[in-house]
Amino acid sequence: MLDSIITPDLFAAAIRIATPLALAAIGGTICERSGVVNIALEGIMLTGAFFGTAVVLATGEPWLGVIAAVVAGISISAVHAFASINLRSDQTVSGTAINLLALGVTGFLMKLWYGHPGTTDQIKTLGSVFNFEAPGGGVLAEVWRWVNAILFTHSPIVYLAIIIAIVAQWAVFKTRWGLRLRALGEHPRAVDTVGVNVARGRWIAVLMSGALAGLAGANLTIEQVGSFTENMTNGRGFIALAANIFGRWTPIGSYLASLLFGFADALQIKLQILRGVINVPPQFFQMLPYILTVVVVAGVIGRAVAPAASGVPYRKD
Amino acid sequence: MSEPREGTVVQRRWMTILQKAGTPVISALLAIAVGSIIIWASGYDPLAAFAALFKGSFGSPKAVGDTLLKSTPLILTGLAVAYGFRAGLFNIGAEGQLFMGGLAATAVGLALGATSWWISVPLMLLAAMLAGAAWAFIPALLKARIGAHEVITTMMFTYIGRYFVSYLVNGPMKEPGNIPQTPALDPSAQLPRIATLFSEGAREALPILNLGRAHMGIFVALIAAVVIWLILKYTTLGFENRAVGFNRWASETAGISVQWTTVKALCISGVLAGLAGATEVMGVHHRLFDQFSSGFGFTGIAVALLAKNHPLGVIPAALLFGALSAGATTMQFEAKVPQDIIQIIQALVIFFVAAEEIVLWFVRRRQKEAISHAG
Amino acid sequence: MAVLELRDVTKVFPGVVANDRVSFSLEKGEILALLGENGAGKSTIMNVVYGLLSSDGGEILIDGEPVNMRSPRQAIDLGIGMVHQHFMLIEPLTVTENIVLGREPGRLGVIDFALARTRVVELSERYGLKVDPDAKIADLAVGMQQRVEILKALYQGARVLILDEPTAVLTPQEVRELFAVIRSLVDEGLSVVFITHKLEEVMAVSDRIIVMRAGRVVGETRPEETDDVGLARMMVGRDVVLRVEKPPSTCGDTVLAVKDLHVMGDRGLEAVAGVSFTVCAGEVVAVAGVSGNGQTELIESIVGLRKPTSGTVHLKDIDITHAGPRKSIEAGVSHIPEDRHRRGLVLQFDIAENLVLGDHRLPPYAKNGIMKPKVIAEMAEKRIADYDVRTPSVSVLAGNLSGGNQQKLVVAREIGREPMLLIAAQPTRGLDVGAIEFVHREVLAERARGRAVLLVSLELEEILSLADRVLVMYEGRIVRELSAEEADAETLGYYMTGGGGDKLAADGVVPVMGGQQ
Repeated sequence: MLDSIITPDLFAAAIRIATPLALAAIGGTICERSGVVNIALEGIMLTGAFFGTAVVLATGEPWLGVIAAVVAGISISAVHAFASINLRSDQTVSGTAINLLALGVTGFLMKLWYGHPGTTDQIKTLGSVFNFEAPGGGVLAEVWRWVNAILFTHSPIVYLAIIIAIVAQWAVFKTRWGLRLRALGEHPRAVDTVGVNVARGRWIAVLMSGALAGLAGANLTIEQVGSFTENMTNGRGFIALAANIFGRWTPIGSYLASLLFGFADALQIKLQILRGVINVPPQFFQMLPYILTVVVVAGVIGRAVAPAASGVPYRKD
Repeated sequence: MSEPREGTVVQRRWMTILQKAGTPVISALLAIAVGSIIIWASGYDPLAAFAALFKGSFGSPKAVGDTLLKSTPLILTGLAVAYGFRAGLFNIGAEGQLFMGGLAATAVGLALGATSWWISVPLMLLAAMLAGAAWAFIPALLKARIGAHEVITTMMFTYIGRYFVSYLVNGPMKEPGNIPQTPALDPSAQLPRIATLFSEGAREALPILNLGRAHMGIFVALIAAVVIWLILKYTTLGFENRAVGFNRWASETAGISVQWTTVKALCISGVLAGLAGATEVMGVHHRLFDQFSSGFGFTGIAVALLAKNHPLGVIPAALLFGALSAGATTMQFEAKVPQDIIQIIQALVIFFVAAEEIVLWFVRRRQKEAISHAG
Repeated sequence: MAVLELRDVTKVFPGVVANDRVSFSLEKGEILALLGENGAGKSTIMNVVYGLLSSDGGEILIDGEPVNMRSPRQAIDLGIGMVHQHFMLIEPLTVTENIVLGREPGRLGVIDFALARTRVVELSERYGLKVDPDAKIADLAVGMQQRVEILKALYQGARVLILDEPTAVLTPQEVRELFAVIRSLVDEGLSVVFITHKLEEVMAVSDRIIVMRAGRVVGETRPEETDDVGLARMMVGRDVVLRVEKPPSTCGDTVLAVKDLHVMGDRGLEAVAGVSFTVCAGEVVAVAGVSGNGQTELIESIVGLRKPTSGTVHLKDIDITHAGPRKSIEAGVSHIPEDRHRRGLVLQFDIAENLVLGDHRLPPYAKNGIMKPKVIAEMAEKRIADYDVRTPSVSVLAGNLSGGNQQKLVVAREIGREPMLLIAAQPTRGLDVGAIEFVHREVLAERARGRAVLLVSLELEEILSLADRVLVMYEGRIVRELSAEEADAETLGYYMTGGGGDKLAADGVVPVMGGQQ
């Protein structure tokens, strides 16, 4: 029975499912490193997913949809940036407003544009980047079959996410932008006193998180599902936040933590398919990612220290 | 500071109430204004939309009844979120506690079967309160003991709770047949409609008494609001709750247990959300199914913020959102505006209340001008 | 020509004019002291010069050229550097990262960390300011952090260095070192503005003195033209009693007995390493020491905010070692915390609520969990009258009071409770002279009433004028006990920096057993 669970496509699915979480989590990491908490990831992802789908439906061009999703993510995160940086709103409350706004706007436009609630028509999706042949028999071929199935069957944004994680890690710790970003989230006044614009630094970080969460939405619809359903993000934004914490506010850590969640989700889907063999209702499997999130958040805190000024609006005088 | 003058005390009291109510009222108006622009930009007539909305929420006794019906759970979830906020805690997962409250009430009601209402109703409400508290307890404990952020944990518990209810109504508690729902509650386990309190003659003489589907749950909600107000204002429990919410270090120094207060605050919040679940099950649906709440827990956040976390302010705030959602169906039917606009308006209300800095910014600038002119 | 000149610079905050037409100039190679009480507007005016705050009128000239200072970036580019009272250092980052922040060497946005490190080392050698370029700020002592701040300003190319209350956290010996550094900077051609409220420092280091009061410049003088008394009068606007007279101590029963107390600090290191002492009724015992030598942890463990790892604390006959804050208050311990905004007050609570805080569940203020607003209001009215808290009513929020009135509020609550033991941690931090005098009078009044007082202070002046006995704390131990007669600033400073520790250890002397002589 075990070999029908532990298959190459289980790991491939883990990577696939981890992708939107990781993109949003890296966005959350950049945002929190600058001192702005972003619990709006959920809503930004949903917005990206919707506008991505809408543009593909209108143009038939998946890549245009991806761009639209990123632009939509940036646009709605600008609202969060304006509220938390310029108006100094409570960032958690502002994030909640955006989550609700995203639900409302996507539902409203669903009916306005497509005349019905629920799910859109199918769209043209982005498929696998590589298409390698699996050669004949032998042990080596078996290994290659696994490697190919796990690593080389994915759509573009899956690879993009891995590249983004590595580049972001490097940028956060090795570049001028990264040093200032890390300083911003710890002690914005210190950054201000050396002549770096605090508001601008935070704006850029929030918009970047919007772009990444929007891209996560594009991955959900344009690569994975192939259509948009109302509230389809289903808590992924919050799980991404947990992944960001578990990854200790680092891009690669966020990616690896997301991979853990992805694996748990892939496993529960696999187990659901095996129902009948194991007699457990599907709802209990569906709970697993959420339970895992609670366990992770509960287990890791105390050892993980958030950026000191995260969530605190900066006021000059 | 100038000395307060006698005779203006009453006036000043009204002024402070007006000042406190000022930003919420402006926020609500701004949100509705932006909502109108969205309606207009989408090619509909905002006036017609709001006329239909008003008709659906206040246009007839039945419509008023619908507004009360929708406001009932919102008062309770609004109180739940507000009470948490007063301790500095954001119970974003009131929805999950509401689900567990509804579940517990249903389970107890079904177990009791046909009996007297004065046995079943109190027991069901109590069960719902305990279930709501229990569902908040683990996040509360995790927050108090190790600082796990309640926004993530209560949110996750909402999903877990909803899947749990979904399992039960599809499995052990399922009524025979194809629909995933429990059997109906015995009439003795239901909260009766308000209209049934009055004789037919009275209702004919006073048509306003025909409050349609509005049920006795509204009184549960109103009593809860008053109780929470009294707790916050006159008890050490409320005092400590507020102290911890404002400044946990000073509270700790003054001998208040921050951990214990955190646990109590989230559990009381859960009690209120659980009650909301019970009133929905007992007053509206008379059974449990997995979509029995239309996000009341989340709308409760908007209610609490609009009320500035004041328990009595929660009542008008909940009435506003209740009216919006009661009128939404009529608006969608008559003016063709998708009812999701209501959710947009709710989000905008939260946004504007949170961004009261806009208003304060003007106030401050004028103060500053006044001083520099004087100086 | 002056390197920096201010003409009628005005700064307005909502409700207050913080700086009212301030004018003065700084010559090249000069050390200018800006003297004034807390709240006189010294820091505000220099924050305006540094571009952190925008001015509401007047002119700033650099090298004779009027400039419109809009941001710190601009100030830095014009050669102005500032070391703030609260250090602007990012704790998890390294010394090098902190120093180069904002002007990172490198290409295309990628930092050349090796080059950055070299530059920091060069700079620190040139000015004789030794630091470890790779250390994390969080691991450095306060004096070392200050060096990093000065190096940061120099790295940015400062010609004018503004030092805001630089000695507040230093020992007398470190202060002397700092003064030497300042003089060498001036020899290198820099000009220095030195903000302080301490008279002796002004006399020791400055070339010229500008005195500020209530947002205005009220006088200008030179050290050779004046003395302590004259400066104090100019600063406060009236004659000031610099030392409080007090009758000799009448030591009664032992009230507080601390035995071999060990306490862990936040970083997992032992912060209090075996401390024993007693305080008796009618006595003020002061703990002297450089900030961060275990004083905070010692107090927190006595009042129950921190669990000691071993040892005992007794209040009279009651063991309060593991009491927790609530039981500690109920046993008769009052505590004026070192940070009134963080631990002392709930700023969003009104005065009455703040005054009942801590007693809020006890009769007569509450019974069976129900509070008695009327009783509380009556108590509050009486307290604000007794302790001279200036407010229109007891329903004003604590956050709307001035710093001095806020501290009076804390004092009113803690002393008004009539405790057996009063613990006062830095009770006059950030207060003006009037409020300082008030707090000192109240502490001595407690002593006169026969209560025990434990005072922790970083201000040696305060310790010398209030204490009957002084315990010097260094690295978690009490290294020396001195009677009021034996104690003077030099001696205290010597022991505060670890002086004499070796000798004590060599002699096998258990440093202090308290009690009455």
